[in-house]
Amino acid sequence: MVSFFHRKKRAKESQTRSGGPEKKKEQLLEVSLAANVDHIRQKTGHSQDIVIRMLKLGSRGEMRAAVVYVKGMVDSQTIYDFILESMMTNPSLHDKLTPEEAVQLLTEEAISIGGLQRQQRWEEVFTSVMAGNALILVDGIAEALAASTQGGERRTIQESTTNVAVRGSKEAFTESNETNIAMIRRIINDENLWTESMKIGRVTKTDVSIMYLKGIAKEEIVEEVRSRLKRIDIDAILESGYIEQLIEDKTLTTFPTVFHTERPDAVAGNLLEGRVAIFVNGTPFVLVVPALFIQFFQSVEDYYARFDIATAIRFLRIFIFFISLIGPAVYIAATTFHQEMIPTELAIIVAAQRESVPFPAFVEAIIMEVTFEILREAGIRMPKAIGSTVSIVGALVIGQAAVQAGIVSPAMVIVVSITAIASFATPSYAVAISARLIRFLFMFSAATFGFYGMILAFIMLILHLCSLRSFGVPYMSPMAPLIPAEVGDTIFRKPLWAFKRRPNQLVSNNQVRQADDQKPHPPVKDQKGGGRDA
Amino acid sequence: MENAKISAYQLFVLIVLFELGSAILVPLAIDAKQEAWLAILISTLGGLCLFWLYFRLYEYYPDRSPVEYIQALLGKIPGSIIVFAYILFCLYLSARVLRDFGEMLVTVAYPETPLFIINTIMIAAAAYAVRKGIETIARTGELLFVLFSFLFISAFFLISVAGIIDVSNLRPAFENGLTPVVKTAFTQTLYFPFGEVVAFAMIFPYVNNAKEAKKAGLLAVLVSGVTLALMMASNTSVLGIELVSRSLFPLLSTIQTIEVFDFIERLDVYFMLASVIGGFFKISLFFYIAVRALAILFNEQQPIRLAYPIGMVILVLSMMTASNFSEHLTEGIKSTLFTHLPFQVVFPFLLFLLAAVKHRRKKQAGADGRDSL
Repeated sequence: MVSFFHRKKRAKESQTRSGGPEKKKEQLLEVSLAANVDHIRQKTGHSQDIVIRMLKLGSRGEMRAAVVYVKGMVDSQTIYDFILESMMTNPSLHDKLTPEEAVQLLTEEAISIGGLQRQQRWEEVFTSVMAGNALILVDGIAEALAASTQGGERRTIQESTTNVAVRGSKEAFTESNETNIAMIRRIINDENLWTESMKIGRVTKTDVSIMYLKGIAKEEIVEEVRSRLKRIDIDAILESGYIEQLIEDKTLTTFPTVFHTERPDAVAGNLLEGRVAIFVNGTPFVLVVPALFIQFFQSVEDYYARFDIATAIRFLRIFIFFISLIGPAVYIAATTFHQEMIPTELAIIVAAQRESVPFPAFVEAIIMEVTFEILREAGIRMPKAIGSTVSIVGALVIGQAAVQAGIVSPAMVIVVSITAIASFATPSYAVAISARLIRFLFMFSAATFGFYGMILAFIMLILHLCSLRSFGVPYMSPMAPLIPAEVGDTIFRKPLWAFKRRPNQLVSNNQVRQADDQKPHPPVKDQKGGGRDA
Repeated sequence: MENAKISAYQLFVLIVLFELGSAILVPLAIDAKQEAWLAILISTLGGLCLFWLYFRLYEYYPDRSPVEYIQALLGKIPGSIIVFAYILFCLYLSARVLRDFGEMLVTVAYPETPLFIINTIMIAAAAYAVRKGIETIARTGELLFVLFSFLFISAFFLISVAGIIDVSNLRPAFENGLTPVVKTAFTQTLYFPFGEVVAFAMIFPYVNNAKEAKKAGLLAVLVSGVTLALMMASNTSVLGIELVSRSLFPLLSTIQTIEVFDFIERLDVYFMLASVIGGFFKISLFFYIAVRALAILFNEQQPIRLAYPIGMVILVLSMMTASNFSEHLTEGIKSTLFTHLPFQVVFPFLLFLLAAVKHRRKKQAGADGRDSL
């Protein structure tokens, strides 16, 4: 027993030693090139993709140097043209030199690459090589030069597949942080657009950047984001979902309290409202905090369309959300408990249909909903080539066969289909999926207590939503707590010229968004009122 | 004290939901017959005075809860006894409202479901709200108030469109003079629902702007009084006084008579939705106030832990106070003078006098002190 604990403890210690960089003694580079190269080889397990190119400098080639990089992570053309070629051909490098002078020359004359850093510690050296930098080592000096040569194959900027908009920019984020940040900079050309980067993940060392507009974003929120990110100590960050789950205000909720999007224009709009964006390398989904409930029902297009149309569409979305939430529940409650509320003719039709069905409405609804969930999940996972099979089989099973076999009533098929379509029409997948879960709760409460149960479930849902916060901002604001000045951009969307101020819950200063009197006027007419434009 | 702040608008919403909560269920001020609406309006004036009284008391001690200032005014032990009596009063009222709702639901929609089960899930939802705290309750109130007022406005609209209003039902006016009207106003309607605002003394310290809070509170009492008067007037004019006085839930009967285009009819769910929302807030607020006051009185650091036990107390109380609905109603009317009058009028008034005297003496002492300097 004792030895078992002992071993466990030792294992833990060795883990922290390999993982916790700040605890171990800092290991520095050696003076000898051979020793350094050996160290690299040994540490990387002689991996084939670590290229170590040896070369000679100095007047008679008495000084040895090496270039180290990871194949595929670097832009090879840059390495050939600006490192290897210039090192080999630069005449001044072939004079008699001390190692110190050689490094000086390399930095100042020979290597024509933007980012060049001198590094002494092994830890930094490995991090920069693994991130795609090229390393230049010179014999006789305990230092390495890291040149930024990141490159390699990446996905190009493509159209968004998850946040589709009819009008608006077609580009979507890619997997590379640099590209994504540049895309925002292309939209907001202002020096107040600040970014901060950090590496999160002991093993993956993922690049995570936060971006905000200095002077518009509230300082406390930026600080809160920073401190929550700094607190993360985990082995790997593989997607922004990891960050999202680790910085949420409350984890026991189905509702998203962090917004994510693939669209640069959505992020830019949010930054201009004072929010903070979090970019995670390796994923096209950028996080935006603080997120409000109503934000998940808004789309960038709402601001591109005229306000009356945008308002109508927002109303429609809320309505759709309610259908996807309580559609089957209303059917269950009405047919089980409150038949008297259905108009007589309709009640007779429904009753006639249900006569042959052997299950109570609740069981019927559960069967249909579960079938539908199975089809939906299968549709996502299936290879595209056979995806159409699922839809055909699904349509037959759900629609035709189940009704003909008398297992479900046609009315139930209609209810479930409308609910299903409604859940696809909710703009945010994250909210749609939580509605999918809560729908079952509503169905259950409707089956046990009819409308009374549904009303209580609804009150509890609202209570839950009102108790949430996203980075300290009440989730249901600006409706609850009510901020009258901001209700214009919730379910409603007031005309663009009326957006005088930014949301003040989030903004510290610089609240004024546009000059007064932005309302478009028709051109001033002739004094005589001829009706023609002046 | 919970570290929470609510806005004056939220206070307004809570008071309106609270006042309308169970008052929309019952035939209010029915002893005044056709002039029920007038009795309600008269008692609204009384309600405004009472609200002013409670708020004035709070203004003497703006940063202390009633539990603390009652103890300060009356001394530790007598103060604690009074506070404890107030807590019991809150629990009793919460249980009463719960019983009202349970009976309503059993009568209207769920004849086969046991009252106990219906009450249980209502109190479970209320306990959930109490655990979330006053800020969340207030925010939920804001959202549901929109739905609640939509229901009310559309119901009034539908009643007037449906052509079922018969103004002659409101006549003859003053059949027996003004006396029964005033009597009803000051023996019944003033205490239920207006005097029950006394419980809000526990909520006042949470409001972030005292001046606005006073305005919001007075406005809320006025708005709910007018709404209730309007409701009672339309009940009487639609159903006729005979039917209203015999009906257990006159508003429901009124809504059931709505029939527009042969399509919009049987709007029971309307009534149910509005009454459950209102009732939920009334129960939760009494419940919350009782839990808070108990926590302060007995120095409990985590009031959240009291939510479920106290919820059970309210549940059992709601089942035990009366063996059937008629007994429950009679009890409500008969007990007014023994419970409502002292707790809503006599004690607050005495406390107010005491506080005023103390305050003046302190002020004088302060002034004297300054003079002597």
